[in-house]
Amino acid sequence: MVWGIRFVLNSRIFKTISFQLTALHSLIFALCFLALLVTTYVTTTAALRGQMQTEIRAQLNAMVEESKTDGIESMIEDINEHLAQTKSATGFYFLSDAAGKKLAGNLENVAPVDGWRETRVGETAALQSAATGDEDHQIWGQGAHLPDGSFLLVGQDAFRLLSAQEAIINTFAWSAGLAFVLAALAGLAVSRGFLQRIDDINQTSLAIIDGRLKERIPVRGTSDEIDRLSTNLNHLFDSNQALLESLKQVSANIAHDLRTPLSHLRQGLEEARAKSSSKQIYEAAIDGAIVEADQLLATFAALLRIAQIESGSRKAGFKDVDLTSVLERVADAYRAVAEDQGKSLATKLSPAVRFMGDGELLLQMVANLTENALRHTPAGTKISLSLASNADGIQALISDTGPGIPEDQSKKVFEHFYRLDTARATAGNGLGLALVAAIAKLHGLRLELQDNQPGLKVVVHFPHTV
Amino acid sequence: MVDNTYKTRPASSGSSVGKTEGPERSYAIWPQKQVGMKLLLIEDDERMADFITRGLKEHGHIIDQTANGKDGLFLAAGEKYDALIVDRMLPGLDGLSILKMLRSTGNFTPAIFLTTMDGIDDRVEGLEAGADDYLVKPFAFAELLARLGALMRRPPVSDVKTEIRVGELEMNLLKRIVTRAGKIIDLQPQEFKLLEYLMRSEGRVVTRTMLLESVWDFHFDPQTSVVETHISRLRAKIDKGFASEMLKTMRGVGYSLRAE
Repeated sequence: MVWGIRFVLNSRIFKTISFQLTALHSLIFALCFLALLVTTYVTTTAALRGQMQTEIRAQLNAMVEESKTDGIESMIEDINEHLAQTKSATGFYFLSDAAGKKLAGNLENVAPVDGWRETRVGETAALQSAATGDEDHQIWGQGAHLPDGSFLLVGQDAFRLLSAQEAIINTFAWSAGLAFVLAALAGLAVSRGFLQRIDDINQTSLAIIDGRLKERIPVRGTSDEIDRLSTNLNHLFDSNQALLESLKQVSANIAHDLRTPLSHLRQGLEEARAKSSSKQIYEAAIDGAIVEADQLLATFAALLRIAQIESGSRKAGFKDVDLTSVLERVADAYRAVAEDQGKSLATKLSPAVRFMGDGELLLQMVANLTENALRHTPAGTKISLSLASNADGIQALISDTGPGIPEDQSKKVFEHFYRLDTARATAGNGLGLALVAAIAKLHGLRLELQDNQPGLKVVVHFPHTV
Repeated sequence: MVDNTYKTRPASSGSSVGKTEGPERSYAIWPQKQVGMKLLLIEDDERMADFITRGLKEHGHIIDQTANGKDGLFLAAGEKYDALIVDRMLPGLDGLSILKMLRSTGNFTPAIFLTTMDGIDDRVEGLEAGADDYLVKPFAFAELLARLGALMRRPPVSDVKTEIRVGELEMNLLKRIVTRAGKIIDLQPQEFKLLEYLMRSEGRVVTRTMLLESVWDFHFDPQTSVVETHISRLRAKIDKGFASEMLKTMRGVGYSLRAE
């Protein structure tokens, strides 16, 4: 038994917020009930008592008045008649003469004292009380002396009041008990339902901590608070999983792509050491090693930059950026480069297009896309930068008339280190477009690769910003 | 001005076209020695500190070094230095705080802020804290030296000239006209900005990164030859057909414009 109670008290239901709230509500509910009971009890008692007093006094007065005209004999008759009529009488009478001798009535030994009195049934040695049969109740009455010195007492059994009080208490006790039980049951039911859903969230979290990354919290589709919490947590798990997977991919790519320059570096140094001939050869080897090391450092810098952009911390510094001038600056910087390569760079820019973002990163994004167009196209290519703002938002276009990208590879180009096989020969760390993708994601931009017929067209869709 | 073993490019340079890496590397040569600067290096990484200290001493500078931020602040506030080189992360007191405290007490000794490459926001923070320039570790020693040189000769802000002159080369900033030996040279806006920067840095070496930052405001490393292309175009305009070559390429270091 004790164990059972302890088990119940220790069980988690009692520790849930929802149960505690239910218990609190039940308590407040019970207190309200009690207040209502007391008020009803007191007012009802007072009302009934007043009513009985009025009735008794009215009857007494009527009988006294009547005796003045009809005489005492008629009153005795009246009383006896009255008592005979109502077998289980609730009314009590006592009539005595001036000497104190009982003339009529169903009470004994009543002291002839005027005024209101409340006596126990036993004390008056009354006849068996009519209604209840038990002697532990009261008779309320009013006494008065008649002009001839005789004494009359009219009374009523107070059980009406007592039974009314009893009824009130009973009603309240039952309904309060029932309500309390219902409230507690409802609380239990609610907290169990709530607990179940919290449990689901906990189980899923534990599963994910455990490494089962694909687990998700079941969603009911009711879009209540817990559902929204679950949905958001699921999104969190999704993005975590995606991050983790891209991290794995990146680690694999780093291992692959950094191994090559590192082994070149080592080879070069080893060769120089082995040959040990002239100062020139040493110098050339060292210069080569520095170039290789710089490339490695640049790759690391690009990776760290991507990682930092992906972390989203730069969002705090977003400002109003003039996109038109960003594209203009890029075009100004690369126009000469394009011309020297026998290509052309044209612009078609809407004036004063503005966007909330990181100006430096947006510049780098456009610059990387432009460099991409410059580096993977042959002489004679026409490159164009354009910027337009319309009802759908802002679009920046970087297009070329080069060889383009095969459709099956168009999604992969924005991945870390991804390079088309045809581009492996050209310099670069393969991170330029990954950086573009990271910057685009930070700003909520959508990148779209289209066939420029011929060539590649990169469309950057900017959402509306306020 | 002691060495002349560095190679200069032919005046009609087209060789940089399509090249993606910077000027060829060579660390043996530093053409322009600006001697006798008194410098303070606050850096806790021993190898880095050693690398910088040795390099600067070889170039004739006097250098104090400390690894502790508090000591660094004490030295910087108490002694008179020509320039400070301050690392970001330091034991005792970090570089940002050192700079902020110095600047708040009215000490405006030129300072270069050293940051690591994983802190892309450090540059802005460093400049806001009062640094005059910044350098991302690891860097080529030549870069540090070039930037120190630029700091030393940075003209006061109030010194706004409308005309700059380097030897035969004259630039009128109001009329946007450039002449060499009286002959008008037609420049594109980008070339004008580039030349203006080079003329203001007369006789000093400027690196590719310095040009990217100050002429194009690019704070990343382009994979194409933006600087080389514009330099070669500018050289074709200001040097071709004249007796001497003013715009020189310092192998492995950068560029320099001089009167000859």
